Amino acid sequence: MPNHARGTLGRILLIVGRLALAAVFLFAAYMKIKPPQGMHWSPATLKTSLAMFAMEVDSYEMLSPPQVNLVAHVLPFVELALGIWLLTGVGLRFSSLATTLLLAGFIAAMFSAYERGLTISCGCFGPGEQVGPKRLVEDGLLFLPIAIAVAVGAFVVHRRTRARTPKSNATSA
Amino acid sequence: MIRTQLWRYGKQYGTAAIAALALVAALAAAGLPSQATVRKARARAARGQQSSAAPVKSYGSKSAPITMEVFTDYECPSCRAFFEQTLRPMINDYVASGKVYLIHRDFPLQMHTYSGQAARWANAAAKIGDFEPAESALYDNQTAWTADGNLQKYLSAAVSATDFRRMETIVKGCEGAAPQAKPNRGNPLPAGDHCSLDSAIASDIQQGYGVPVNATPTFVITYKGQRMPPDSGYVSWPLLKQFFDSLLAQ
Repeated sequence: MPNHARGTLGRILLIVGRLALAAVFLFAAYMKIKPPQGMHWSPATLKTSLAMFAMEVDSYEMLSPPQVNLVAHVLPFVELALGIWLLTGVGLRFSSLATTLLLAGFIAAMFSAYERGLTISCGCFGPGEQVGPKRLVEDGLLFLPIAIAVAVGAFVVHRRTRARTPKSNATSA
Repeated sequence: MIRTQLWRYGKQYGTAAIAALALVAALAAAGLPSQATVRKARARAARGQQSSAAPVKSYGSKSAPITMEVFTDYECPSCRAFFEQTLRPMINDYVASGKVYLIHRDFPLQMHTYSGQAARWANAAAKIGDFEPAESALYDNQTAWTADGNLQKYLSAAVSATDFRRMETIVKGCEGAAPQAKPNRGNPLPAGDHCSLDSAIASDIQQGYGVPVNATPTFVITYKGQRMPPDSGYVSWPLLKQFFDSLLAQ
């Protein structure tokens, strides 16, 4: 495969990976903040949804109630912001790096719960989904590799672009 | 002169009103039962249910805005922690104040040796109106009875001698295999004959299959008819309370 064709394919994969991660994070945020069934969007139902998510975070038995509340009230909005950031493609190296770290954190928490024998709702995409091998495989072998690939790709593209820029400047000069 | 007449009428009507009030109070005192009488009547009613009635395994008023159904296994350590640290303060606070109606559902897991038998004893206690002390005794002494299966030792200490004898009578003939929640969601009733208590336990398990309950404890919260998604695992009381408060503020 010629170099330019490989570069184009790489860029396309980078865009696809970035959009896939953005979709995952936006969906995860939506599922956490959407009002419970039968209720309408309002500040009160948002509070209920976040309180429900707080119970899921609490079931991991890793944090004290104030820490749980902090995580539960901040995380959905971090996911939302990260989803939008990935969607824009601005500063992809940093957004993909943040995504990788966040996913690694999620996997570590789920693995810890699974190892301790806790059969709990993972809270990943709203209530209901359980922590277990399926969830760990999905996050560990699908989402995390995509995030790592996007981060590596973004750094490689950036380095190449930077390496090319001074040369072209020198030629033109 | 008008003043004198008014005084006379006032005196007459006043005396009549006081007499009427006294009569009403006397009738009320004679007709209305005291707190102790009400308590005794309730206990009698509970005892009168006998083995044919469904056991009452709930706390609080049915008219509470929030209903919480908890599927638990008496032998599961997370269920004990959930009962001791979350449900107990909840019963004392939000159930007592009429905000929450708590329903216990049996979900004895196949992996636990004595949980089915414990559920039978709890159901027998529920039939005679002693579910609360029996449930507390089972969780408080979980570590002890799970070692040797001697449930009677702790249950007999939790209820009166008369009530324990009633429980023994109900449990009589329930020594065989008890109903269990199967991982493949199969029939919870043991093969062959089963005792009178088993149908209530099996009914709870079948309800759990429908939720679906994948682990214990699992709880389902319903607020004004709106059922929330089920949640499983231990949740601390401050966070559960926060959730209830957010629902009550709707």
